[in-house]
Amino acid sequence: MNLLDFSNSIEGYLLVSSILLTLGIFSVLTRKNAIGILLGVELILNAAGINFVAFSKFHLAALDGQMVTLFIILIAAAEAAVALAIILRFYRLKQTIDADEASLLRN
Amino acid sequence: MKWILLVAELLTVGSALIVAINPNILYSAVFLLFSFLGVAVMYLFAGADFLAGVQVVVYVGGVTILILFAIMLTQWLYRLKLKDIGSKFVVPGVVLALGLVPFLHRGLTELGKMVQAAPPEKMAEFAGSPKTALIGKALLTNYLLPFEAITILLLGALVGAVWLARPKA
Repeated sequence: MNLLDFSNSIEGYLLVSSILLTLGIFSVLTRKNAIGILLGVELILNAAGINFVAFSKFHLAALDGQMVTLFIILIAAAEAAVALAIILRFYRLKQTIDADEASLLRN
Repeated sequence: MKWILLVAELLTVGSALIVAINPNILYSAVFLLFSFLGVAVMYLFAGADFLAGVQVVVYVGGVTILILFAIMLTQWLYRLKLKDIGSKFVVPGVVLALGLVPFLHRGLTELGKMVQAAPPEKMAEFAGSPKTALIGKALLTNYLLPFEAITILLLGALVGAVWLARPKA
């Protein structure tokens, strides 16, 4: 794998997307802060989008992968808005956004 | 031109690393913005000009600002540090971070070899053509059902978010 010849191969895109996915999972697992978990989810969604765009160019040479990425971006925006509304609501209720404190439904 | 893509990839990965490990959530959110910008440049190089614009408008201009607003509104939260989390998931997180990248990359590369690659001239033609008109046509023909579904989803998310974040009655 030639490090400087990423633009004409799918390797660079796949490498970046795997690193983003792993960092996102790491962020989701280690953060206690609810907004930190949301940041991790955004990284994971971006990794998925990169993969779709890369395969769309290098293996399909057609538009379908880009359409999927467009829908992923829209769903991520809706998800972020609702998640942040829930976080604000939770903060008003508990004065914290520590995810471990969200235990109202736990017996 | 190739070095621009390389810089964008390094920017994406480096910023994402800071997002994942910086104890201060405010810095994490700001570096998430740079990561999104790097992804937008990568989209440009993959022939997705319209998606790069959407990425900048929706993620850089929308989601990141929304997250920053939420951080500012819930004060004290950026004092939460990674080290005082001491979560039971830190060890699995580190193991995943170290073990998953080569595994994933290898698997995806093998998958890429199995799938029939596009011929180079077709790929170059696809990467060079503007996509906005094509995406607009596709949204109203082949992708009409997902398009309509996502409009309903966005409406629901809009109303739901406003309702959830309403002030105390």
